[in-house]
Amino acid sequence: MIPEIVGLLGILGLLVLLTLGVPIGVSLALTGAIGLMVMLSPEAALVKAGVVVFEVANKYELGVLPLFLLMAHLCFAAGASRDFFDVAARFVGHRRGGLGLASIAGCAGFGSISGSSLATVATVGSAALPEMRRAGYNPGFAAGALAAGGTLGALIPPSGALIVFGIIAEQSIGTLFTAAVIPGLSQALFYMLAIAVMCAWKPELGPRSVRVAWRDRMRGLLGIIDVILLVCFVIGGLMIGWFTPTEAASVGVLVAFVLMAIRGAFNRAALSDAFAKTLTTTGMIYLIIIGAILFAAFISVTGLADLMSNTVRAMDTDPVVVIIVIALMLLVLGSFLDGLALMLLTTPIFLPIVLELGYSPIWFGIFLVRTMEIGFIHPPLGLNVYVIQAIGKDIPLGAIFRGIVPFLVADFFHLAVLIAFPVVTLWLPSIMAV
Amino acid sequence: MSDPITDAAAPLHDEEPPPARRDSVAGRVAFYIGSAGLLAATAADSIAVLGRHTGFALLGAIEIVQAAIVFIAASSMVVVTLARGHAAVHILTDRLGPGRRQLLSRVANLLGALAVLLLIIGSLILLGDTWAGHERSELLHIPLRWFRVLMIAALAFMAILFLRDAIRSRGSAENAR
Repeated sequence: MIPEIVGLLGILGLLVLLTLGVPIGVSLALTGAIGLMVMLSPEAALVKAGVVVFEVANKYELGVLPLFLLMAHLCFAAGASRDFFDVAARFVGHRRGGLGLASIAGCAGFGSISGSSLATVATVGSAALPEMRRAGYNPGFAAGALAAGGTLGALIPPSGALIVFGIIAEQSIGTLFTAAVIPGLSQALFYMLAIAVMCAWKPELGPRSVRVAWRDRMRGLLGIIDVILLVCFVIGGLMIGWFTPTEAASVGVLVAFVLMAIRGAFNRAALSDAFAKTLTTTGMIYLIIIGAILFAAFISVTGLADLMSNTVRAMDTDPVVVIIVIALMLLVLGSFLDGLALMLLTTPIFLPIVLELGYSPIWFGIFLVRTMEIGFIHPPLGLNVYVIQAIGKDIPLGAIFRGIVPFLVADFFHLAVLIAFPVVTLWLPSIMAV
Repeated sequence: MSDPITDAAAPLHDEEPPPARRDSVAGRVAFYIGSAGLLAATAADSIAVLGRHTGFALLGAIEIVQAAIVFIAASSMVVVTLARGHAAVHILTDRLGPGRRQLLSRVANLLGALAVLLLIIGSLILLGDTWAGHERSELLHIPLRWFRVLMIAALAFMAILFLRDAIRSRGSAENAR
């Protein structure tokens, strides 16, 4: 059989397994191992599987994942979760749409600890949504702002998705984190612009709240200054070359222990809970990474990615057009695939094409995560929407999806900026010591 | 949907795994091994950073972290399998009746056992090839073959757990949710 056909059948088989609810890591590992058996030999496939298992389990760079997870859980245990929204609300809540702006700022702040979209929308949403509704915000608009804001957690460093991409694509996690800073902040800015425009057009969407005295604003800010310093120290230290990503995560864990002690949360139950949650998520991702590397090896052996890059080259099409087509494919696939599954399925196929077109793999990582994030809020999957609906149970799903439309428009404009101006992504890494 | 604050327990991945189960001996052992690994990695890297900026070097810090990561990887994969917390796409299974969902769950667990079995066989082949060579790390001469054994043991335990869940209908039903 033609190797490329085997590759296509492998992808099809993977999609079937994923749809049938087989765990993502298992689906990837099985497809990869069986595919390699067909393409090479059973023994070669098994040896490759053995090599991958120990390489992943022994990989220094992968230490960044459990350690950043632990840092996040320790920060949560210290109570640093909802405060970002509360503080932002004190500063801008009195403006038109101010609580919406605060919810975006809260998501960005929380995302800088959590690295996850769902965790961000769930935590900030549970604090912000009732507050916005009490202030008379349109429920669909408020829920839409929070669902969209939650996606910031997947891009703003330390981002779990970027760590996994870095491992799969063999790219520097430090560079990816640095590259994500401007896209993450500009994404938040685009959402804020969307809120400002919508509230200027329809003021009833986001009425003004009571102005808070400056003394109370500063008191609120002082309450989160320790977490802000932790994030700046860890991510800043990484960007200016004080630490490697794994070291940054270790130092982050250490500082988070201190934070817990200062906030009076350093106790056995909290620590035990943080360690248990860290181990559960880590184990889930380790199996996925093992599977993804096997699957990528299989796709590489079939030559499918090379065939696709050669076809793209032969078409002599404008690279931007190809990137737009890839973005559309990612958006369609993101309608029914979980973000991580989407990334692991498409990276081995699209990355060689993108490299062939002359784009940087770092840029592609940011583009991929950014496009993947949109899948969190567009129907039918739109996981963030379901999380926010679980918080505001009486808000109809349709109203939330309608409320999301302005943010989806902002997303498409932002994605267009990232595609048209790769420098937005690549400038910061070019001047930093990563 | 569960309580949103509990959902926030999955900071780096967007599928919420259930909390680790420490009600069994295996769960407790895995938890303590993994926690020790996390603390060892934190300590080694933090001391290395401190040393680099204050003028002393911690020899082989990377090797210590690598060893710790093996403990973390092995234990965490056992922990998540015990908790039936592996990430899966639920777009189809959520729309099926309990019977079909349970059937698919059994199939998923069997395939899980098969996939892990392939990983075990590959790891055993490599262990056999490297056993006599007394593979060690470069600076601290940490004997790596015992770490390979640890990974294989963890994988074997995972395979048993997948098989158990495939056989037990209760486990399968829980996993199918």
